[in-house]
Amino acid sequence: MAVPVSQAWTVATYVLKQKMMGRKKYPLVLMLEPLFRCNLACAGCGKIQYPAHILKAELSPEECFKAVEECGTPMVAIPGGEPLLHPQMPEIVAGLVARKKYVYMCTNALLLKEKLHLFKPSKYLSFSVHVDGQREHHDFSVCREGGYDIAMEGVRVAVEAGFRVTTNTTLFDGADPNSVRAHFDELMVAGVESMMVSPGYTYDKAPDQKHFLGRARSKKLFRSILSNRKKTWRFNASPIFMEFLMGKKDLTCTPWGMPTFSIFGWQKPCYLLQDGYADSFKELMETVEWSNYGTESGNPQCANCMVHSGYEASGVNYTFSSLKGLLQTAKGIFFSKYEDEGAMKLLNEWKPASYGPLVQIGAPVTNSASELQEVSGD
Amino acid sequence: MATETQESAKLAQLAHENPDEIEVAAGREREQLEGWIPALASDAEIREALEKAFDYRGDITITQKDGSQVVGYLFDRQRGASLEDSFVRVIPSNDAKAKVSIAYSEIAALAFSGRDTAAGKTFEAWVKKYWEKKAAGEQNIQIEPEKLD
Repeated sequence: MAVPVSQAWTVATYVLKQKMMGRKKYPLVLMLEPLFRCNLACAGCGKIQYPAHILKAELSPEECFKAVEECGTPMVAIPGGEPLLHPQMPEIVAGLVARKKYVYMCTNALLLKEKLHLFKPSKYLSFSVHVDGQREHHDFSVCREGGYDIAMEGVRVAVEAGFRVTTNTTLFDGADPNSVRAHFDELMVAGVESMMVSPGYTYDKAPDQKHFLGRARSKKLFRSILSNRKKTWRFNASPIFMEFLMGKKDLTCTPWGMPTFSIFGWQKPCYLLQDGYADSFKELMETVEWSNYGTESGNPQCANCMVHSGYEASGVNYTFSSLKGLLQTAKGIFFSKYEDEGAMKLLNEWKPASYGPLVQIGAPVTNSASELQEVSGD
Repeated sequence: MATETQESAKLAQLAHENPDEIEVAAGREREQLEGWIPALASDAEIREALEKAFDYRGDITITQKDGSQVVGYLFDRQRGASLEDSFVRVIPSNDAKAKVSIAYSEIAALAFSGRDTAAGKTFEAWVKKYWEKKAAGEQNIQIEPEKLD
């Protein structure tokens, strides 16, 4: 199992309880953003582009606990910004653990080794380390040479100290599936509990507006990465969501599945789109016109999205909606290596982008060498 | 924020193409809004300017009809049927815990007064900088987060 049995049981009973209560719209994971400031300035991330007074602002532990209780999800992810920059993060995490919430603290791990002693290992706490690929790919992705080595050192130290450690990898146009598979091998050797992987997405606030995967290319990429799996790989994702990424399953978006709370309030409608804020979780659920979001809505902002924050909950909902869903999920967990000759052919014939370290996030694949020179100014 | 032309182009693309068949997703270009003082001569201009202010990543300055000014980050807007029941919400630059609500109808002037914190931070800018530094033999190339003080 990619997660402890107690966590799987808690999530399963939570979902079944929602269904027995007849709730059509219920959240699965709270995305708690206690601050926006970060110690990286990744070119693909729009989360840190705010005036200084906003970047200095933080949610207090009490505000965090109130949001968690309002929302009621069994799992809380803490992205940001970089959560380890929040001076009260140990107190926030301890408070959530005391409430028996399964916490995924999303970190770039630059400060993990230094701050690890402020946290206690617990089955409720996992450090979800953002690693975007092998060394040069990750370093280029986070716009910092040496970032990979620091992050992986943080992973190793946390694993050795007995913490649950998972990883989170985002893929953009130009990603090399062979490299991503090698990256998975490296993460497993480092001792991580499980891995999460998701495509990037053209949300309006992202500074990089030219290197996002369309759905057709996402499916091709994920089919080649996730088919013919190695036995050693463990994923922190619903098997149904991963089948969706591979193009084997159709899912509709669940935009309320992972609601986001930050210093601005409850973000409408979802983690990546910002269409305003509500002051309470109830107001969020009642005032958003949910039918306006998701690929099936025809909303151009949602057209290429296959991100976990919209579809992971859809996968979980599919699992618990029928016996068929349960059986398919069980098969995905225990038996399926997703053997696929076509995917193997794709993998073998994949031509890496030819622009040096820009393998994972690169210039558009249609770019010629001369265009690249133009961009680089050479 | 997408310009109207970009939005129309994207809608036209989607009208002729199934999202599941799109290979590379179209992005959007940013408008240069820093320093802009919109005219606010009509209701439509007020709505459009405040929509752009909602998307803007720097502080704005709102002058209200009573002459008072609010400088801060406009993080929310609620659009109602009239200007009276439409309002923006601002976190003032001098009070991180306050959230000030202002009706559209009370706004006399708007200025995109703060620095656009998203300006120049494109992926292309990073690629250019990376290759320039690499060519110069630099090591430990990185983008440093801006200092907050």
